[in-house]
Amino acid sequence: MSMAMDQRAPAHETAKAPQGERAPARIRARGLGKRYGALQVFRDIDFEVGEREIVAIVGPSGCGKTTLLRCINGLIPLDAGEIVANGERVTQPIAGMAMVFQHFGLFPWKTVTANVAYGLRMAGATRAEIAEKVPYFINLVGLAGFEHAYPYQMSGGMQQRCGLARALAIEPNVLLMDEPFAAVDAQTREILQFELLRIWSERPTAMVFVTHSIEEAVLMGHRVMVLKGRPSSIFEMVDIDLPFPRNRSTLLHPRFAKLREHVWRCVMDEAQAAERELHV
Amino acid sequence: MAQPRFWSGQAIGIAALVAGALVWEIGAQFANPAFVAPFSTTAARMWEYAASGTLTDALASSLAIYVSGMAYAIVVGVGLGLLLARARLLRIGLESYIMILYSTPMVALIPFILSMMGFGFAPKVLVVFLFAVFSVLYNTLEGARSLKPELLEVARSFRSSEYAVWRDILVPYTLPFAMTGIRQGIGRGLVGLVSAEFFLSGSGIGLLIIRSGQDFDVPGLYGAIMVITILGVALMAIGRTLENRFAAWRGLS
Repeated sequence: MSMAMDQRAPAHETAKAPQGERAPARIRARGLGKRYGALQVFRDIDFEVGEREIVAIVGPSGCGKTTLLRCINGLIPLDAGEIVANGERVTQPIAGMAMVFQHFGLFPWKTVTANVAYGLRMAGATRAEIAEKVPYFINLVGLAGFEHAYPYQMSGGMQQRCGLARALAIEPNVLLMDEPFAAVDAQTREILQFELLRIWSERPTAMVFVTHSIEEAVLMGHRVMVLKGRPSSIFEMVDIDLPFPRNRSTLLHPRFAKLREHVWRCVMDEAQAAERELHV
Repeated sequence: MAQPRFWSGQAIGIAALVAGALVWEIGAQFANPAFVAPFSTTAARMWEYAASGTLTDALASSLAIYVSGMAYAIVVGVGLGLLLARARLLRIGLESYIMILYSTPMVALIPFILSMMGFGFAPKVLVVFLFAVFSVLYNTLEGARSLKPELLEVARSFRSSEYAVWRDILVPYTLPFAMTGIRQGIGRGLVGLVSAEFFLSGSGIGLLIIRSGQDFDVPGLYGAIMVITILGVALMAIGRTLENRFAAWRGLS
């Protein structure tokens, strides 16, 4: 179907392992559609996410990636179709799911410790569980020593580490990432990408990762969902047959360049067409 | 670095006050004693009042009214402000009334309160309350409404109950704004206190001011006014300290 798959080299057969882990599905989405008034944002979206699978969503800006993610979280209602996660139909936020926000979403009046404890407290964790887990997850994301810092005292990268720890602390089996590294500088972004991959390989979960960076999508995802069109729908689901664990050397993989190019073409066709239209 | 500048700032402030007292003292020597009393005489009269218990009795009587009125103003102002921030329809319904009352000079309501409630303790408390409550309410409401919707979405994403939203988000976020309102209310409430003691039944410091004026006791008049002023300055300082303390997370202090 896709150019990327046609060119698969035998050397990369080992990379297929993660796809074997796709079943059983943690998230099943059928016929999703969303409208804002007269504007149809997306429609006819079907996909599944495995228990230990990362699905990255890319698409031109305004294609409804973030809207789709918020629907998966149950924050906004769908107009068509249904999402089943953890065997439960999603109509509002459900247990076992946690979101990391582009704007970090930290509570400025809470310290790192209190921010990380927030999700646990809302999930009804006991005092003892909170006392045990919060330091563990603060340490896991590399924020040891900043337990009593307030968000305004930390850089954007550190704030997002805190946001990540807050989501991880409830030990979700679905992690939703809404352009989590879009608001941090380029170097920090790279560091955080590899940290997230390291943390994920320690505790693999289902993950939906929305990004506007094609490179990031290819680096993070077992599969990349390309959303486009108006209203948008799934243009292509690209298998990313790169080996895990992924790290800096993944970026140097010749296969990485090929897949990135393929996804780039999927996304950009329309952007270029739109640009041509403007010049007519 | 900050310490020497802080102390030199304090020194200049104190020097300015001493200079003011000196100008007052010397200037009063050339003025008509029927209208102007020098600083030394005023201070001496205050001391006399304090020693005889006149001042403490007046202060206790005034403070009882003031503290009661302010307590109601804070509880109602903060509580209603938070509630209106969360309950959209209620807010739309009451918004115009709040604006109307916020812009009404409360002194104008005193004769009405007098005819309704008479001369007792309660109507004076009501006057203090009315003078102070709208600053508290308005600042709390506007503060709570400036809470970013993103943070409420984070709360929803983590399945927070309405109670948890209030305890963990709405109240801690709004406290610094409420404190700004309370600090403004402290000043307005003091105006309310003196007005109530003037225009309802005379009592406390207000009565002391009126009586000194009627007796042409100029040092007593000045002294009583100074007591109110010192009270206001002290209460404002307390209000500002509390405000800064609750705003620590904003990185301002």
